[in-house]
Amino acid sequence: MLIPPAQATGNLEIRCDAMAREVLVGPDGLASGISYIDKKTRREVQVRGKIVVLAAGCCDTARILLNSKSTLFPNGLANSSGLVGRYLMDTVGADGSVGFLPILMDLPPHNCDGVGGMHVYMPWWNYQKQLRHQMPFARGYHIEFGGGRRMPGPGILSGSQHFLGGGYGAELKRGCRKIFGAFVGFSSRGEMIPNDDSYCEIDKNVVDEWGIPVLKFHFKFSQDEVLQARHARETFQEIIVGAGGEVIRNPGPEENWGISKGGEIIHEVGAARMGADRKNSVLNSNCQAWDCSNLFITDAAPFVSNADKNPTLSIMALAWRTSEYIADQVKKQNI
Amino acid sequence: MSKDEPDKSRGAMGRRELLKVISTVPAALVPLAADADQKIRRYPNPGAMPPKHVTAYRRQALDEHEWKTISMLSDLIIPADERSGSATQAGVPEFIDDWLAFQGGNLLAEIRGGLTWLDIECQRLFAHDFMDCSEAQKKQILNRIAYPGKAAPEDANAVAFFNHLSDLVVGGFFSSEMGVKDLPYLGNTMVADWQGCPANVIEKIQENEKKQKT
Repeated sequence: MLIPPAQATGNLEIRCDAMAREVLVGPDGLASGISYIDKKTRREVQVRGKIVVLAAGCCDTARILLNSKSTLFPNGLANSSGLVGRYLMDTVGADGSVGFLPILMDLPPHNCDGVGGMHVYMPWWNYQKQLRHQMPFARGYHIEFGGGRRMPGPGILSGSQHFLGGGYGAELKRGCRKIFGAFVGFSSRGEMIPNDDSYCEIDKNVVDEWGIPVLKFHFKFSQDEVLQARHARETFQEIIVGAGGEVIRNPGPEENWGISKGGEIIHEVGAARMGADRKNSVLNSNCQAWDCSNLFITDAAPFVSNADKNPTLSIMALAWRTSEYIADQVKKQNI
Repeated sequence: MSKDEPDKSRGAMGRRELLKVISTVPAALVPLAADADQKIRRYPNPGAMPPKHVTAYRRQALDEHEWKTISMLSDLIIPADERSGSATQAGVPEFIDDWLAFQGGNLLAEIRGGLTWLDIECQRLFAHDFMDCSEAQKKQILNRIAYPGKAAPEDANAVAFFNHLSDLVVGGFFSSEMGVKDLPYLGNTMVADWQGCPANVIEKIQENEKKQKT
């Protein structure tokens, strides 16, 4: 979306098949360019720049910084705080709850596509209770719905015997038409609180096929996230039963409430957080590295929290803001 | 993707597939109103496309006898009616054979074993295989295994087989072109202007709700 107008300026050159390895640093401690591996030739190529902006996708941004070791920055670039890779977050998910809702049986055929998730989105509704400390966990989640008269694939209406009592022939065929669309799926998407146990670091023993050391991940949800997932499952149950339906699947305590694995919801954020104090953050409030004034990060790595919403629009808004800051600083000849 | 590049997309696809399976669409994947500014891509109407070159299906998993028995069972499970054709007319035996060849292992053994049980039981009761049974004899044996709640405990394995076969026939039929039209599934078409849930749908839900309460 933003690349075509940038290309139209004539000032953009895109290098494909370039696997960024590290940020190059000059004797003055400023970023001087990028070293990358050309995937086609497997040779190292260096590009020079007055300003370096990383947007490699949160974890890979942390990886590039940690791999950018030099005599000036032995622990990796922009890492004097030791926080590159730390406070990694993902969205908290509770997926796979399904209810059978007889009130949705035998509905007139209509197009359920085009508006996602059963025409319903349920935002977090307990802020006030949380403010009054009446909830066992701190942050919110929203509910996404699925099901309805969705596109049939192989496996559709499996287990129909449970709802129709079995049978075969014309009666079964009629029954299948009636229950098609009466199943509703529930998923929660919630906010994770960053913690000390969730981070990535360079794996000293493993490199990728380009010879670049890879990341090793450590991830742990706290009790806060587990209680949030539990609340979501109990809410799904309440909705299904309240609508006179039958709970088909809804993971309980024996499955730790079916809480997602770190990275599963593919909303990785954090790992090079911004902050007001250089001692406990990697970037300042303009996503500029404290240790290296011409280095900026414009992906999800600067995030200090991870709201229950999808992160892309926040990434774009922050990137826009950082871009304006860079332009301003260049004009003022500060960088 | 060029030939010499290994396929690395599987991991990412796995997660997308998972999202599909749990039947939720993450908000990010839902086309937003912002896209409306862009030109709507029009895909060719399938009806207007040149006819596909049709070749006869070649069996992969089932032998001739099994194929005939499965075909017969498929049409007993999903027969033609006033709204659509039968399972065999929708290509269900081909779907099942292809699926069994792909899955192999336990599923293939379970279906084969079930068919063998059916023939042995029909031989015992009627002195011939299932496919040679009269309509009344077929009904007699299917009625024994097609109603899980009423079946005798000693028929449990046969009930499990029939459930599984019935799921394959039902799933194969209602995901076929004929079955999709039968339901009907009306989606996968562009909705330029969303008007909300149709009034007759809401009325029906309210009617169902009333019935449920009484």
